[in-house]
Amino acid sequence: MTPQADSARVSFWTRLQAIDRRWIYLVLAAVVIVPLLFPFKIKPKATTPVQKLFNYIDTMPREKALVISIDYTPDTRAELQPMVVALLRHAFATRRPVGVLAMAVYGLGLGEEALSQVAAEFNAHATNHEDSIINGEDYVFWGWTTPPLTVMLGMGERITNVFPVDYYGARTESLPIMRDLRNYDDMGILVTVAASAMPRSWIVYAQVQFGVHLSCGITAVSAADFYPYVNSGQFTGMLAGMKGAAEYEELVTAKMNKEGLDWGLRNRGTEAMSSQTAAHLAIMAFIIIGNIGFFATRRRK
Amino acid sequence: MHIATDPWVWIAAILTLAIFSFLYRENPFYRIAEHLYVGIANGYAITFYWHRILVPSLFDPVARSPHFITKVWLIALAIIGALYFTRFIPKISWLVRIPIAILLGYGCGASIPRAVEAELLRQLQATIITRAHFAHWDTAAWAIIILIGVITTVSYFFFSAERKGALKPISYVGIVFIMVGFGASFGYTVMARISLFIGRLQFLLGDWLGLIR
Amino acid sequence: MQRRLPLMLVLVTGIFGAVAFFVPHGAVRSVDEVFRNDVQRILAAFSLVLGVGSIVQHHLTKIQRKASFWQYSWITLTALVLTAIVGVFGGIDPNRPGILPTHIGSFSFHIQTIFSNMMVPLAATMFSLLAFFMSSAAYRAFRARNVEATLLLAAAFILMLGAVPLGRAIHAELPSFAEWILAVPNTASKRGILFGVELGIFATSLKIVLGIERGWLGGGGGK
Repeated sequence: MTPQADSARVSFWTRLQAIDRRWIYLVLAAVVIVPLLFPFKIKPKATTPVQKLFNYIDTMPREKALVISIDYTPDTRAELQPMVVALLRHAFATRRPVGVLAMAVYGLGLGEEALSQVAAEFNAHATNHEDSIINGEDYVFWGWTTPPLTVMLGMGERITNVFPVDYYGARTESLPIMRDLRNYDDMGILVTVAASAMPRSWIVYAQVQFGVHLSCGITAVSAADFYPYVNSGQFTGMLAGMKGAAEYEELVTAKMNKEGLDWGLRNRGTEAMSSQTAAHLAIMAFIIIGNIGFFATRRRK
Repeated sequence: MHIATDPWVWIAAILTLAIFSFLYRENPFYRIAEHLYVGIANGYAITFYWHRILVPSLFDPVARSPHFITKVWLIALAIIGALYFTRFIPKISWLVRIPIAILLGYGCGASIPRAVEAELLRQLQATIITRAHFAHWDTAAWAIIILIGVITTVSYFFFSAERKGALKPISYVGIVFIMVGFGASFGYTVMARISLFIGRLQFLLGDWLGLIR
Repeated sequence: MQRRLPLMLVLVTGIFGAVAFFVPHGAVRSVDEVFRNDVQRILAAFSLVLGVGSIVQHHLTKIQRKASFWQYSWITLTALVLTAIVGVFGGIDPNRPGILPTHIGSFSFHIQTIFSNMMVPLAATMFSLLAFFMSSAAYRAFRARNVEATLLLAAAFILMLGAVPLGRAIHAELPSFAEWILAVPNTASKRGILFGVELGIFATSLKIVLGIERGWLGGGGGK
């Protein structure tokens, strides 16, 4: 290669390395928006941790409650809310009692949103009282209190001592569902949906002392850190990020269709997979191009 | 395309776009939205601390309890809690250490025996290879790899001895495992961050503009 | 007194917190329950004062000194006060309104409405900016400078492909391989790191209870 051609090539890579970051933002935005507008059909296949959690909830005794702890805040809503919705649909479709609490004060509104949404979905198709999802009978939203230690240790003795009133202000002792949901012994599993280290606290305080079965739905950022707990059996399966949510949605949809509840409900996690695929390819392309440019300019020097 | 008519959806969309405007450059709209967020978050927290803790656990029992000793006990706790306010009075700001000490002490004490059981003993137990692992060739192989990985990773962080002799290759194997672990974390972090952006686009394109389902 | 009293309190409550785990005696359990439900709960509620008070103090100081962008501090303080008024006096359950009405005609400004339509979009969008910063970092900073960095990037690529359905299209076993990376080598390394971290936390907790670690006392003199 002539020195001029070589210089032009290096100059191209140098300019590409120094490109304004806003062009990168624009490419990313386009890559994510287009598949949302023109999605391709995707059917996520459940991985082992997701299948494990689904199977456990599906086969646990009917009278045992599924308890969900909303341990996240609005900033991670996109990843974690679909998990809560899918878990609630699973529990209601299999007529299991549900208890919901929040460990983060900002999770209260998110828990209320999820419960209202799923209860409305089921009640829209209910023809009688038996089919309906009723607050206080089929589910209870205990709300929030602090500190977490008080909740985790107190729920092992008596839940109504920790939450004397529910989120809506009703006395928990008076709710029909609470007759058979006194403490951890009446729970089949507690799923902590979190964006922080709260799942560890549940293991340390609730599982060590009271032996409650635990699982977690966690943001993808932290998912890799929680695999040791899945491996040791301290978590019965795990939902990792939006992908985990999409996989669980798929399992729940298949289950509901099998039960004759094919209502065509929206699955936000699954909807996002097209854009997720495109974005991952874009990020990989950025890394590859960045490295090519790095090595091209380094060689020149 | 079915644009939303609910004014709150429009407010949410405008606030979303105000934050996104930061990507172009910092501007007054972004600053307004940022400051609004801090204010609303704190106001929301005050609301629920008031309604879900102070009223049912303090004010109602003090007002309604027939037992004098209960009232005295709760008022005493409230006085200790009120010591948090002394943080802003320089002359007596040391008093804030009292409620902090009570919360911190119990938290640390309660965590010690439980964390040892949950995070050390149970995890050690899961690392040890047992006969059950040899039921299948793959469970045996993966259990051996995990054992090697744990030992070599821990050896990498052992700074009390110079990295020479046997420790050098052992800690290098540890680095390999650590790099694979960090790579796994990074790959999933990419997924996480993109998911959050997709969530906002689902709102803008779906709930606001009605362009997607 | 200024340091001795808090250190004494930490020691007593710390020992009690640890002992309560081991002692099944009814009296100890009762005291533990009262301590958690009353003492911990009420003190934790008042701890909000630190956070909110610091924010208010910071912004009032900015306004007083007319520091840069001081005008925006009014927005924070006004939003804080208005949201707190709506929440405290308007009630938190739409079916049980408080003394303050939270709707004008069909337009609601209930605390849950404010949360869903202002706080959620603001918080979620703030965090979603990270996707862009990460993409910029991916382009500019993630370099395969050596073998270890290349290994990190290779693992990341496999995970990124395995996490999406495209991975299965590239190779049927790619998602399983990605899952294996998470379940085996990743688990090993994270567990090794976990041991170190937990030993550190255990040591620090013990040092706090015994009064060896005093950083939490903050500055200032006193005995």
